[in-house]
Amino acid sequence: MVAVLEKNFLISLAEDAVKSALKLGASEAEAYVYDGQATNIGIDLGQISKTHRIIDRGLGIRVIVNKTVGFAYTNIISNPQTVESVATRALSAAKASRPDPDWHGLPPKKPYRATEDTFDSAIVDLHPEDLVKAATNMLDAAGEENPSVFPIEGGVGSGYVANAIANSNGIAAFDRGTIAECSLAALAKNSTSVTPVCFEFDASRKYLLNPIWVGSEAAKLAISALEPKPVETQTAKVILTQFALQDLFAYTLMTAVKADSVQRNQSPFKDKLGTQIASENLSIYDDGLYPGGLRTAVFDAEGTPQQKTILIKNGVLQNFLYDTYSARKDGKESTGNAVRAEYLSTPSIAPSNFHILPGSKTPSQLLTEAEDSFIIYYLQGAHSSNPVSGEFSVVANPCWKIKNGEITHPCRGVMLAGNIFDLLKNIIAVGVNERQMGSIIAPWVLVEGMKIIGK
Amino acid sequence: MKDVLQKAIDIAVAKSGANYAEVRAQWLTKTMFTLKEERVEVAKQGIESGVAIRVLVNGAWGFASVGSMDRVILEAAVSDACNMARLVSNRLKNPIKLASAPNVEDHVLAKPKKNPSDIAMEDKIKTALVVNKTSLDFDNHVKSCGLDYMDLMGTSFFINSEGTNIEQDKLYVWARITASAQANDIFTLSSEEIGSTAGYELFDDHPAEELGRKVAKRAIEQINAKPPKGGKASVVLGPNVVGVFVHEAVGHLAEADLALSGGLLSNNLGKQIGSSLVTLYDDGTLSGSFGAFKYDDEGIASNKTLLIKDGVVSGLMHNRETAQKFGTQPTGNARAEDFRVEPIIRMRCTYMAPQDHTFEELLEGIKEGYYFKSFRGGQASLDGTFQVGIQEGYEIKNGEIHSPVRNASISGSTLETLHKVNGVGKDFALYPGRCGKGQTAFICDGGPHIRVNEVIVGGSA
Repeated sequence: MVAVLEKNFLISLAEDAVKSALKLGASEAEAYVYDGQATNIGIDLGQISKTHRIIDRGLGIRVIVNKTVGFAYTNIISNPQTVESVATRALSAAKASRPDPDWHGLPPKKPYRATEDTFDSAIVDLHPEDLVKAATNMLDAAGEENPSVFPIEGGVGSGYVANAIANSNGIAAFDRGTIAECSLAALAKNSTSVTPVCFEFDASRKYLLNPIWVGSEAAKLAISALEPKPVETQTAKVILTQFALQDLFAYTLMTAVKADSVQRNQSPFKDKLGTQIASENLSIYDDGLYPGGLRTAVFDAEGTPQQKTILIKNGVLQNFLYDTYSARKDGKESTGNAVRAEYLSTPSIAPSNFHILPGSKTPSQLLTEAEDSFIIYYLQGAHSSNPVSGEFSVVANPCWKIKNGEITHPCRGVMLAGNIFDLLKNIIAVGVNERQMGSIIAPWVLVEGMKIIGK
Repeated sequence: MKDVLQKAIDIAVAKSGANYAEVRAQWLTKTMFTLKEERVEVAKQGIESGVAIRVLVNGAWGFASVGSMDRVILEAAVSDACNMARLVSNRLKNPIKLASAPNVEDHVLAKPKKNPSDIAMEDKIKTALVVNKTSLDFDNHVKSCGLDYMDLMGTSFFINSEGTNIEQDKLYVWARITASAQANDIFTLSSEEIGSTAGYELFDDHPAEELGRKVAKRAIEQINAKPPKGGKASVVLGPNVVGVFVHEAVGHLAEADLALSGGLLSNNLGKQIGSSLVTLYDDGTLSGSFGAFKYDDEGIASNKTLLIKDGVVSGLMHNRETAQKFGTQPTGNARAEDFRVEPIIRMRCTYMAPQDHTFEELLEGIKEGYYFKSFRGGQASLDGTFQVGIQEGYEIKNGEIHSPVRNASISGSTLETLHKVNGVGKDFALYPGRCGKGQTAFICDGGPHIRVNEVIVGGSA
C-alpha cells in the first residue's frame, strides 16, 4: 500500500478544523478525517483481468450556530487553506438553514474501550501478488468442483481505513482497521437450464481468508440450482439462511429499531419496549465491540464509544439504537450507533454488528425439524419491502425444496409474501451455525407459516 | 492542468508499457440538505476533485484513483496501475481489446435556464419547506414527511492515449419526497423522485405544493387499501411501473457485460423474445432528462440505442470492451459515478415506445385484475426473473378502476411477460431514478401504459 497518513497528522488536522470553525463563529464544531486505501484483484467472465487501487482521503466539518447545523466536506486535504475554507462553507450552510429546536449539542468525551482483532498489519503489508494468488486459488477451486460452472465475477481485496475525530467538547480520537475479502459469483448452465447467479464470500478483519472454500461453495451452489421445478402456492416452513435474513431485516427490522424511526412514527415498535414482539427463540444484540466484527470500532461516527446493546431478549424488545441527537430527544444516552459515509456525510443511525444470537440446533437438526419445506438463500426485491409496516413480497431465486429433512431440488419463481414483524413471532428454531454478512451476524433460523406463491 | 494529465498518459504509454491509457479528472461541487417534518436536519456543501487512471497492459486492466491533481502523485499512480495490470496479464486466457472509436475534441457546456449555483441555499430550503408543509397539512393521518435535495455541478476532463480530449460540464438537480401515514395499526408509505440535467427549472415543472400533495395523497389512500390476492392476474401497468420493469427486467439483461455473464439476451440477438407490440430504447440524447449526457466516460458520444424492435432483440448497450467482443460499435453507455470508480456499462434513459391504445381500451375486457400505477423498488436476475414492488395500485373490475390495494408486487419470467404484453398505450411519461450496480448512476425510465395478460401478483391476502 501507499504510505498511510500518521495518527498525529490526522488528529491534529481534525483539531485544527474544530479550532478554525470556532474562531469563525461556530458555537460548536466537529471534524472527521478519513484516510482509506483499497486494493482489489478482479475476476470478470472467468478470468482474472483487472486491478484496482483507490486512495480516498477527506475532511468533513459539522458546525452549529444557534441550534442550526451546517456541514461541508472536501477531499482536498493537502492544501493548507483547506481547513479554513471548509469551515467557512460549513458555516455558510448553517446560516442558510433553520434552527432545530431538538438540537441539544455534540456528544461529550467518554472513555473508550479497546477493540479486538480489528487491525492486522499483514493486510497493510500485502503485495498485489498475494491477492492474485488468492484469486487464482478461488477460481481454480470453482473449476475443480465442476467445470460447467461459469464464474462471472468476483475478486480478492484488501482495505485499510483510519479515521480521526475531534469536537468542541474535547473529543480527539483516532482508530484504524483493516479488512480482507474475497467473493465469487457463479452460475451453471446445461442444455436445458441456466441458473440464477449464486454467490459466496469470505471477509475478515485479519488476513485469514479461505478463497478455496469460497470458490468451491459458489460452484456447489450453482450446480445444485440446475433444473429447478415449479412450486404450488402454499403455506410452509422455511429455513432462512444468513443471505435471506440480511436482505429481509435490512429494510425492515433494522430500520424499526432505530430511534429516529421510532421518534418519527415510522416504526411499529413505538410504545412496545418491554413487550413480546418476537418468538422467545429470538435474541438480538447490537454489538459494536464484537471481536473481529466487520463493524467493530472503538468509537462511532461522532466519537461516542461503541458498545453492546441488547435490542431483543427472548423475544422481548429491550432498547433502540441511538445516536447523540436522537438520544437527547428521549433523554437517553447514545448507544454509539452513529455512522457516516466516510467524510462525505453527517452522522445517521445504523446497527453496528447486528448479532442474532445462536440457538442450539445444528443445521441438520434444523433440516429435520423443517420436514417438508424450503431453504432460502438469495432474495430479489427485499428493498421494496414496506419498512414501516414490515410487509414484504419478494422472490426467492433460487430456493431449494426440503423433503423429510433433506434438500432435494431447486425451485424457480417462488414468491414469499408476509410481514416481517409476524415472521419474528413465527421463529420456531435457531441454528448454531452463525457467520457474519455485512452488519448481520446470524445463524440459520427456521420459520413457520410462510406464505409461498408458486405457479 | 491538461498538461499534467497529458504527461501522465505519456508516462503510461512510453515508460510503463501501456497499450492504452486514459485519465479522467473531475472537479465537483454538491449542495444537499435533508428535511424531516419541516425541520432542516442538516445543510451540506461539498467540494471534490480527483483523477481516475485506467490503463490496458498486455490485455489486462489497471485502474487507480487518487484525490489529487499533483503531478508526482499522479505519475506514481500511473506506474502502479501499469505494474498491477502487467502482473495479472500473465495469466490471461482472453486478453482484453477495445473496439475502435473516433477521436473527439470537444468542450461541452451546461446551459441551465436556472443555474443551481445562482440560487441561494436559503431559497432552495424555502421551496423544500413548502413541499413538507403541504404534505403534513394534507391530512392529519400524515405522520411524517421527508425531503432529500441534491444538486451537483462540475467539470470532467477526459484524455486518452488515442488523442481524444473532452471537457464536459456535469449538472444534476434531484429531490426525493417521502410521506408516511398511520391509522390504527396500518402504516403506509409514499415516495416520489424528481430529477433533471437541465437546471433548477425542475422546480418550475414540479411546483412544490403539487409535489407535497401528490406524495401525501398516495400515503393516505393506502390506509383504506386492502392487500391484493396472491396469484396470477391480468394487469395494466402505468408508465412509472413500465419504466422500472423495462429497466430492471429487460435493461439490465441488455447491458452487454451482463449479457456476457450468462444473461439470456446474448443468445437471443435477432430473435423474437416478446410480443410484436414491444419496442425498447436506451437513449442518452434526451436533452435535460436525468440520464442524458453528450459523451460517456470512455469519450464515446452517447446515442439512442434500439434494444428491442417489434419484439425482436436488436441491440445491446456497449462499452468499448464489449463492443469489440460482439464485433459492433460502442453505444456511449460507459459511465462512472465519479473519479473513485471505473466506467461500467450503465443505462441512460430506458423506455418502451408508445403504440396506439387509449387507457380505457387497455382496461377493457379485464374482468378482474389490477392497475399498478407507481412502483417501490424492483430487481431482476440474470436468468430472467424479475420482481417489482408496487406503492400505488388499484383493483380493476369489469374494465373499471376500483378500490386501492397496498403492498402488492409483481414477478415473473421476463420473456414470458414480454410475450404477454397485449396492449400498449399511446401516452408517454419518463421518471428519473438512481440505479445501483456497485456504483450509483442517475437514470431515467418510462413508457406508455401497457396491459399484460398474466403476471404473478404477490400479496398476503
